[in-house]
Amino acid sequence: MYPGTASAASLDGKEAPDFALKTLDSRNLRLSEFRGQVVLINFWASWCGACRQAMPALNKMHEKYQRAGLVMLSINLDDEAPRALQMAKSLDIGYPIMLDDHKTVSRLYQADNMPLTVLIDREGVVRLLHEGFNLGDESKFVAPLRSLLNE
Amino acid sequence: MVRQLENRCVSGWLAASILCVGLWNAASAQETPATTASPPPADAPVATPLAETPAEPAAQEFKSLDQDVQDLKKEVLDLNRELFTLEEELLFPANTQVAVFVSMDVGVFFNLDTLTIKLDNKEVANYLYTEREAEALLRGGVQRVYIGNLKVGNHELVAFFTGKGPNVRDYKRAATLQFEKGVGAKYLELKISDKQRKEQPEFVVKEWE
Repeated sequence: MYPGTASAASLDGKEAPDFALKTLDSRNLRLSEFRGQVVLINFWASWCGACRQAMPALNKMHEKYQRAGLVMLSINLDDEAPRALQMAKSLDIGYPIMLDDHKTVSRLYQADNMPLTVLIDREGVVRLLHEGFNLGDESKFVAPLRSLLNE
Repeated sequence: MVRQLENRCVSGWLAASILCVGLWNAASAQETPATTASPPPADAPVATPLAETPAEPAAQEFKSLDQDVQDLKKEVLDLNRELFTLEEELLFPANTQVAVFVSMDVGVFFNLDTLTIKLDNKEVANYLYTEREAEALLRGGVQRVYIGNLKVGNHELVAFFTGKGPNVRDYKRAATLQFEKGVGAKYLELKISDKQRKEQPEFVVKEWE
């Protein structure tokens, strides 16, 4: 694990729980199908202020490292899909947005504090968990991300 | 004619009697010298004559005891069989297994999106199919979508298939199967195929064993 990363704890260093969710554009995506790639998952909701700050920063990171093999998935916890769609459009998000309206995946990942950012290595192991977001926090993800992309 | 037959019967009976008496005498003659050749020693215990004890009640008692032993043997065998069955059920829980598989044939009229399985009115599986997984099924793959344990007896499986039907319309169908679970494992197959004549998908639930 990388120092300074946050609590959400019990998943640290363990295999990331697999899941499948429907995206806003009605595709079904399964985490295990991205095995072999570095995956960054972001849990968010439209009512979460910190999420609104985090998403543009993560979007930039996605644009930059996509070509290097980064897969970014965001999981929305809103009860109604239109709210998620509206916010994603307003923030011009380029990565897939998955809908966890039954909260099954957020429970699996214990996403109690939002946003929750999870970095998963090519072997499918959770290597970083970060709860909450303050401006500049994205820089905390860069070093571990680059390191995982180089593995 | 009748007289002739009677004569033959009488003569046959006579012949048989003579033969029996002859044989009896021969046997007695063989036994007699043996008894005379070795007289019993003076201190040998003298056998009590059987005629002195009441034979019938003893025989009946013996018969009743024999019957008791036979009944006991039968009960032991029954108990042994029951214990064996019980032991098998306890030691081999795999036998309580029920597994549900999904397969697809052709799939022109249906694009599988979600499958929900209810066993005895309880949701046991809810599977979302990615494009890759649906393709794998179309290529002949068989997916084990659920494995669990069920008690022996009658059960009901309901499978809900959601996806895109003919003309890319939202399509939801259910298939039900009442089945009896025995001691062995139970395998069920959910088969999605095309009904060419009706241009509709068909959903079949099949029991493997």
